[in-house]
Parts: sequence; structure tokens; C-alpha cells
Amino acid sequence: MTGSGLPNPVKRVAWITVSCQRDLMRCTIVPPHMLERVARTDDPALRDMARRTLVLSATQRVERRTLPVATADPSEDFAPRRTVHDAATRQELPGKAVRSEGDGPTGDGVVDQSYDWLGVTFDYFEAVHRRNSIDGAGLSLVSTVHYGVDYANAFWNGEQMVYGDGDGTLFTGFTGPLDVTGHELVHGVTQYTANLEYFGQSGALNESMSDVFGSLIKQWHRGQTADEADWIIGEGLLAEGVSGVGLRSLKAPGTAYDDPRLGKDPQPGHMRDYVETYRDNGGVHINSGIPNRAFHLVATALGGHAWEKAGRIWYETLTGRAMSPNTGFAAFAAATIEAAGRLYGAASIETAAVKEAWDGVGVQR
Amino acid sequence: MTVVRSGGFAGIDRRGESDTASDPVLRGLVDRVDLGRVPPPGRIPDQFVYEIDIDGRVATVGEAQLTGPLRELVHHVLDGSV
Repeated sequence: MTGSGLPNPVKRVAWITVSCQRDLMRCTIVPPHMLERVARTDDPALRDMARRTLVLSATQRVERRTLPVATADPSEDFAPRRTVHDAATRQELPGKAVRSEGDGPTGDGVVDQSYDWLGVTFDYFEAVHRRNSIDGAGLSLVSTVHYGVDYANAFWNGEQMVYGDGDGTLFTGFTGPLDVTGHELVHGVTQYTANLEYFGQSGALNESMSDVFGSLIKQWHRGQTADEADWIIGEGLLAEGVSGVGLRSLKAPGTAYDDPRLGKDPQPGHMRDYVETYRDNGGVHINSGIPNRAFHLVATALGGHAWEKAGRIWYETLTGRAMSPNTGFAAFAAATIEAAGRLYGAASIETAAVKEAWDGVGVQR
Repeated sequence: MTVVRSGGFAGIDRRGESDTASDPVLRGLVDRVDLGRVPPPGRIPDQFVYEIDIDGRVATVGEAQLTGPLRELVHHVLDGSV
């Protein structure tokens, strides 16, 4: 998000005194009305920070409304603008810029891998969905690598991607798998489109969008059909000796790993096993298994390249008007059926496959 | 006190537990932390979220807001156990 002029949301989150003793849910939800109340408090420090957060949120809402849903000239060639930064094991962003668009390889395999995966992800959205970058308007792609020491994570902070090198014992470097980069960039796409709130069912849908398109980017890069693809997220991310094939399976949620140190993959693949928890923003990385599996069911029912039909239906839904920040599973399911009907006809096999998939995972639509 | 780290790209929980009675370093850190004044966790996709429980008083904080003695405290408890 370089050049957009938006303040960094990580640094501008309001400090609010919340009693978390009785009701844990309250600690993780700061609705605008609560911020507005804090903005009128007598404590000047609290007041200022709450006001900054409200201004930031308002800015993001305006930005989302005014951004075009890319309907570019079919012949226009989009060009990425990538910058890879090196945090040199510190935890400060963005770190030192070490490779910019058009620069040759640096010789640091991690930097160069990140640069290449940003390019593949950009190319996927251009070639398959005619989308010009994350925001549909050519936004710069920024990533920071070598973040922290033994840092076993990657995240999207609202403006850029951040990758750790892993601890080497349980996790390898997070720049390695293409679908990790795809996953993080799609958090950006979601932020600029449906803007799904990162909590509960809408948060699990946000996660699922990142897994679905992360997997599609990998399949597209490899030229695989739905039957050929592994449907694994984070293949290659588990270190040697860890028992598992990756972090999540869209095909069979709950089966990606089972290891004495990591535990067992907790993802459900059906609504009857939906996990109610306040941890992990209400289980966003757990319950995403349900919509993930629904997508796999659609893709395999239709066959061929999953991005061509199933991916198109999901992309049209994510970027369409039916979505709002608090869309849950049922509303999303209804929106995918509606999108399939619009694209292929209400009585088409495509629409039928979408209906059957949601029935298959127990989501009422 | 206990610390549970959840979230992250992997979504795998990690838990640490320590007792101030047998850990003077921890006791010193606890004295410098006011759980009533920790900021809310924010909604950063794939960031780690920490649930901190000191004698039944619980706060949830996101990694981006984890600073100063609270950060030391969380890492002291988490790194002390695997």
C-alpha cells in the first residue's frame, strides 16, 4: 500500500480499557459505537487514540466504496509494482528495500522467492479474473522477509505481507510455498472488496477466500486440474520430521497433520462440527474448513481447471454486491448460488453443483 | 499464570504456564503489567493473538499491540514451556 497515504492500522489501534474478566468476547470486538463512546471520554490519551481509529475506519470505508471493481479494457496489459524488504531479523516494518520492480535477482533466495511469488499471484489475477493487483487499480505489492528470529508465521497487516523464516524445527520459511503468498495477498483482495470482518463466520469466510484462491493460484501455476491438485495449504511448510502434509486440506479438512508437538488438524468439514471458540478471532482458521470443503466439492463436481468455473463463481461472489462485512456462511452460500445462476443459468449443472456442495457441508442456504 | 497463543497462519494454539511463587523473574514482570490497560487485539489477518490469564484476570491482545513488559512476560511464559 505504498503511496496510498493511509496510516498504519497496526500502529493506530486505539488503546481502550476493557474488562475482559467476565466476557472474553468483548475483548476481541471493538465496534464503532464503543470507539465513539471512548472518543468522548475525559482521558485525553484514550480519546485521541479512539478518534484516530474512527478516522482510519471511516477512511477505509470511503476507499472501499470508491474503488472500481476492475472492468479494464480486455487488451490492457497490467504490470506489477513489487518491492521486497529485508527486516534482517528485526520486527520492524517495512525494513530495508532490497529488490524493486525490474531489479535482477539479489542472490538472497528468500528475497528472490518472495519477489517471484508476488509476480505469479499478480499474473493469476490478471490472467484469470482480469484484476489489476489487490485493489483492482494497480496497488503496489510490498513484502517484508526475514522478519524476527525463528519467526514461524506470515501475515497481512492491512498494507503489506510479512514473512518469518520459520523456526526450522516445526516450520520452514514462510516465503517457500506459493499458496502462502497467495493466501496473504488475497487477504488484501478481500479487504478491498467484501471487507469481511475478521471474526466468527465472516472471519472464517475471509480465511476461506485466502485458502481457496491461494490454492487456485498454485493449481494455475502448475497447470493442474481439480483432480490432479493436492488441495493442501502450506505444502512444504512443515519441517522434516513433523507428521503432516501441510497446514490445511480443502479436500479433507482435519487431515493435514497429526503430530505429537503440533497436535491434530482441528478443522471441521461440516456444520455439525462447527467449533465455537473465542480464540483465534472466533476460530477463523478452524471453521474455514467448512466453506473450503464446499469449494472443493464444487470444483471436483465440475471437473477441469478449478479456476475456470468454481473459481469464477467464488470471485464474482467475493467482489459482488451481495457481500457485506458481516456476511455469514448461509448468506455467502446463497450469494454463490445467485452468482452461479447469473453466470451459467439457474437450471445449469454449475448452479446445481453449488447447491449440492453447500448441502454437502450442512450449510442452510 | 497462563498464556495461550492462537491464530497465526497455521492457526495452531500454543500454551505456556508459570507460577509466580517459584519464578522471581515472572513476579517482577507481573508487577509491571496492568491487564486492565492492554489494548484490544485488532483484526490483523493471520497475526498471533495472545490470551493472558493472571490469577483469573484475563486479557486478549494482538501481537502488534504486544509491547514493553507485557511482551517480555508473554515470551517468558511461552518460551518456558513447549
